[in-house]
Amino acid sequence: MNPLDLHLTRRQLFGLSARGIGIAALASLVGDDLAAAAAGRAQARDAQTGALAGLPHFAPKATRVIFLHQSGGPSQLETFDYKPLLAKYQGTQIPDSVRMGQRVAQTMGQSSLPVARSLFGFSRHGRSGTWVGDLLPHTAKIVDDLTVIKTMHTDAINHDPAITFIQTGFQQPGRPSMGAWFSYGLGSENQNLPAFVVLLSQAHAINADQPLFSRLWGSGFLPSAFQGVRFRGGSSPVLFLDDPPGISKVTRRVMLDAVKALNAMTAEAYGDPEIETRIAQYEMAYRMQTSVPELMDLSKEPESIFEMYGPESRKPGTYAANCLLARRLAERNVRFIQLYHRGWDQHQDLPRDLALQCRGTDQPTAALVTDLKQRGLLDDTLVVWGGEFGRTVFSQGKLTDVNYGRDHHPRNFCMWVAGGGTKRGAVIGETDDFSYNVVSDPVSVHDLQATILHLLGIDHTKLTYRFQGRDFRLTDVHGDVVKTILA
Amino acid sequence: MYTLWKRTVPPASLSTFDAPDREKCAARRAHTNTPLQALTLLNDPTFVEAARALAQRALVEGGRDEKSRLAHAFRLATARKPSGKEMGVLRALLKGRRNWFRKNQAAAMTFLSVGESPRDARLDAAELAAWTTVASVILNLDETITKQ
Repeated sequence: MNPLDLHLTRRQLFGLSARGIGIAALASLVGDDLAAAAAGRAQARDAQTGALAGLPHFAPKATRVIFLHQSGGPSQLETFDYKPLLAKYQGTQIPDSVRMGQRVAQTMGQSSLPVARSLFGFSRHGRSGTWVGDLLPHTAKIVDDLTVIKTMHTDAINHDPAITFIQTGFQQPGRPSMGAWFSYGLGSENQNLPAFVVLLSQAHAINADQPLFSRLWGSGFLPSAFQGVRFRGGSSPVLFLDDPPGISKVTRRVMLDAVKALNAMTAEAYGDPEIETRIAQYEMAYRMQTSVPELMDLSKEPESIFEMYGPESRKPGTYAANCLLARRLAERNVRFIQLYHRGWDQHQDLPRDLALQCRGTDQPTAALVTDLKQRGLLDDTLVVWGGEFGRTVFSQGKLTDVNYGRDHHPRNFCMWVAGGGTKRGAVIGETDDFSYNVVSDPVSVHDLQATILHLLGIDHTKLTYRFQGRDFRLTDVHGDVVKTILA
Repeated sequence: MYTLWKRTVPPASLSTFDAPDREKCAARRAHTNTPLQALTLLNDPTFVEAARALAQRALVEGGRDEKSRLAHAFRLATARKPSGKEMGVLRALLKGRRNWFRKNQAAAMTFLSVGESPRDARLDAAELAAWTTVASVILNLDETITKQ
């Protein structure tokens, strides 16, 4: 054997297979779509939406998702998990009977772990009487539209594995993100915009250092056409939308036709589905030249809308502006709208920084839910709010009457869901008096993912993709639909 | 070629092609394949200018004959000669755009003014504009963009 053969490139491999060599062997190495493409047969898909044949598995309650990821791990103790008894324990060492020797992230070497109560008050809101921290006055007004899950728990204790877990169902990188699975399974209701759009916004907190990586919205082993498309934060969410001066619409079209024809010849020679993706992306780019300016034209949004989302909604790239953009994307039937807001990692100076985070996000978050509701979109749009884990009841660093920090806490944290077939004005689960352990109704990350898939009409055990010899799914081999969340 | 790179903010066009933001180490760069990349390669003035420069090289260095010029441009980008079918697509595009730019001289001039470098004034504007569209197509091929 020629030693060079040991260094087959991807294209060489596809080139061999296109000449009829070893399709079956290839199929065991690569995914269904790759092998199917190499064998010249595509998977059966709906002609209009591109949904896989047989999907959705049953009638969906929601057709789209807006996932408001609060990156860093918002404290449950100041937001939704009210623990009045902590005042009594303020400053005392957390009882061993509560902590049970569980690992901590950054407070490893800390000599004492003193209990810190919330510096901020709580009150009950709505007909449901849900407890909400006083830092979230706007969210408090919409609690009757929410199902608050107080007993989320995760396997990961550090940001990167935890955020990768909640987005992809696995702590190590390489699996498809949730949005990619939806895009792969259900296709798109709008052929002029990507099915999976990602919007990032920067922290309001002063201490904020957790990065975000594009693999969080990657397609993993699914064909790359299903990965999220990140819009930029500035005034131009998509750069270079305009054709160069002197290029007429006809010139642009015939140029793209030539690119397509030539790429198709390469695709035929090598059978690499990445080339098919490239062709599809050039066509999507062409359609986005019209659809994105229309999406971004806020001139017809009335003043009252900007007031509702708050002052930052006029500033492109902020969380508030992204919430408004999320509504506009939802109106245009974009399948999965993923927001990331940075800055929720309050190891220190929690009272200051958590207040800043809440002030920056509370109003636009509530406005988004209200706005969807008044347009009748909340019925079939699932909104999800939350971070990758919670925070410890004990203080990280020095506890004083006015200042403290909190370390990572994977054992319980709060998220909420709204719309899309979920209960309105409900609370799921209970934690102990220290908000340290789940007492009843635990909801794992895989349970939440299974439930989100269920609401979109997908049996989470049946949406699979064969890769490296086994069928993968978002929920791996875990997850149960949380029936108590369903309306 | 030089560009401004702020410490944690890569130039926008490079971000579109997965440049790490350098906030943390990146052991391996992510690979994406998005419509945003298509828009950058088609419309970013840097790449429009690059297409014009490639067109100029094809016309100046590629011999006298249209086919040898097209083959030269194609080979500079892909390291191989175009097949007969590929040559057919390129020639059809060139012919159509040549006719159009001859009737739309002003459009040719504005198209050729994109970028920092002046156009090669020895070359006919409509001809160079038509060749620039062909060069842009070559620079946008999957084979050109993808390292194999």
